[in-house]
Amino acid sequence: MNRVEATRIVVEIADAAPIVASLGHPAYDLYAAGDRPENLYTWGGMGIASSIGLGLALARPDLRVFVLDGDGSLLMNLGSLATIGLLSPQNLTVVVMDNEEYATTGGQATPTAKGADLAAAARAMRIDPAVTVRSDTDLRAALVHPGLIVAKVTESPPTSKPPLDCVFIKQRFMAAIGNPEPGTAGAAFQPVKRPR
Amino acid sequence: MTAPTWAEGVCAGVHACGSRDVIYVPDNPLAHVLSTFEDKYRDVRLILATREEEAFGIAAGLYFGGRLPTVLLQSSGVGNSLNAITSLLMPFQVPALMVVSMRGDVGEWNAAQAPMGRALGAVLDAIGVQHSSVDSDAAAEIAVRIAGRTAFATRAIHACLLPRRMTSP
Repeated sequence: MNRVEATRIVVEIADAAPIVASLGHPAYDLYAAGDRPENLYTWGGMGIASSIGLGLALARPDLRVFVLDGDGSLLMNLGSLATIGLLSPQNLTVVVMDNEEYATTGGQATPTAKGADLAAAARAMRIDPAVTVRSDTDLRAALVHPGLIVAKVTESPPTSKPPLDCVFIKQRFMAAIGNPEPGTAGAAFQPVKRPR
Repeated sequence: MTAPTWAEGVCAGVHACGSRDVIYVPDNPLAHVLSTFEDKYRDVRLILATREEEAFGIAAGLYFGGRLPTVLLQSSGVGNSLNAITSLLMPFQVPALMVVSMRGDVGEWNAAQAPMGRALGAVLDAIGVQHSSVDSDAAAEIAVRIAGRTAFATRAIHACLLPRRMTSP
């Protein structure tokens, strides 16, 4: 299973649910798998895609939230596993595309290439379930649950890049998930609905 | 334990500007703020982060989900946050109220805190983050309230700095 194939499966299972993609190849693949307004291409905030997803999941318990992270980027923010484990939101699924390399920066090996086990780290931080999958069948099965999925994937060179306008991405995203940003065109045509 | 007036004011200001989600990395003075939130503001959700950059990621996610986030941190932690602030919150125009417990300003005893504490205003100026300081216990509520209102109305981070002479006299 290569990364873009795995990404397509996540998009298919997510249906209309929001997907937060880490900057670089995870975001490029998400765009290639099919642009949709519920896609949040982060462009910045290296390493903290899972934290963004956590905040979104806490803000919107009525939605399932998916995160597309990378092994290198999650390794920058391992504390996020402890926070997610502590809060255990039942609507957050973090998918770590583990290609065992920093593909976005030229393919340098990450510690997972020598056996560092991110699913075990997540379990140790009380994220449950946290599993490693190597096939499309296992990925599909795991995506039913909240928690963390390490998808062992091969690198697939990206073929396209998402829109670069961060404010456009944000406003389109917020309107699509039902909480349009106040004061925007999206908000003018839809009442602002704040959970709680 | 009665919380100091400034801590009561910080909590009232956060609440008055509409924020109900507070992400924090604790420090000693902020303990008063956290206990006041727990005692008197049951509608405010407190979220512990392991590191300040993570806190800003959680804040951004909360905003994307329609909430108005506050981040409580020590000034030393601003350095840990800079990439999230400059590469995520600023280009996406994601607002957050930052409440910063100062170290390294007047009254500091630890030389290790001095360089970042003294540079903080210049660092925030350099990246274009608005900031203001709470001048007295009595001014805390209004200073934090208008900092938050400014942040959320203009979709920009506003940092409200709590000087050491107030928090740790």
